[in-house]
Amino acid sequence: MTDKMCITVATGSVDRLTGMAVLVSAAAAMDVEVEIFLQLWGVYAFKKDVINKNMNLIEFKELGPQVVEGMKRANIPPWFEMLKQAKEVGKVKIYACSAASKIWDVKLEDLEMVDEVMGAGEWLDKMKEAKINLFI
Amino acid sequence: MSLSEEELRGLKPDKTVDARGTSCPGPLLAAKRAIADVPINGILEVLSSDPGTKRDLPLWAKKVGHEFLGTLEEPGYFRVFVRRKR
Repeated sequence: MTDKMCITVATGSVDRLTGMAVLVSAAAAMDVEVEIFLQLWGVYAFKKDVINKNMNLIEFKELGPQVVEGMKRANIPPWFEMLKQAKEVGKVKIYACSAASKIWDVKLEDLEMVDEVMGAGEWLDKMKEAKINLFI
Repeated sequence: MSLSEEELRGLKPDKTVDARGTSCPGPLLAAKRAIADVPINGILEVLSSDPGTKRDLPLWAKKVGHEFLGTLEEPGYFRVFVRRKR
């Protein structure tokens, strides 16, 4: 097994995506290779017309403004900025589920930071090779 | 092997990166970026105010093959010293 982290992202919720971006950044700094597979809401959240407008929270929705304020105070960039930085310094690949891409009727150029469209079989093969596997 | 406080205070870093404005894992990314500007066997100093950094940076150094020299605690922040080994 290689020093790799695979994250299956089924959520489009900003709180979850932020947690994911923190781990991806740490992995990029620690020379751990990262591969990310976007499913339904994950693909939606990476759409160019959605990525920086998305304010959807899965938990404690009423605390949204407090979260935004707290992140500003702690100088934590938005999740997609963190992910961009991680892609710059480390080995981070992002794939969009081919079925989900059909659901949203999107092509690679409609998505931000996504490297390839991929099927579930190939993704399973990648997960088998990774030491760390996460599903969010 | 960690150096003594006196030895750490006597170090002359080749580069100092100030990551005090950032939260975890910002200092890690700052260290990863900055180490490239340090000559092999040179010293990088990372300033961080994030409490996670104190244990993160030694682990980072070990993982990526550099030598952690030690940490100095200052009021409100840490000074972490790493020797570039590769």
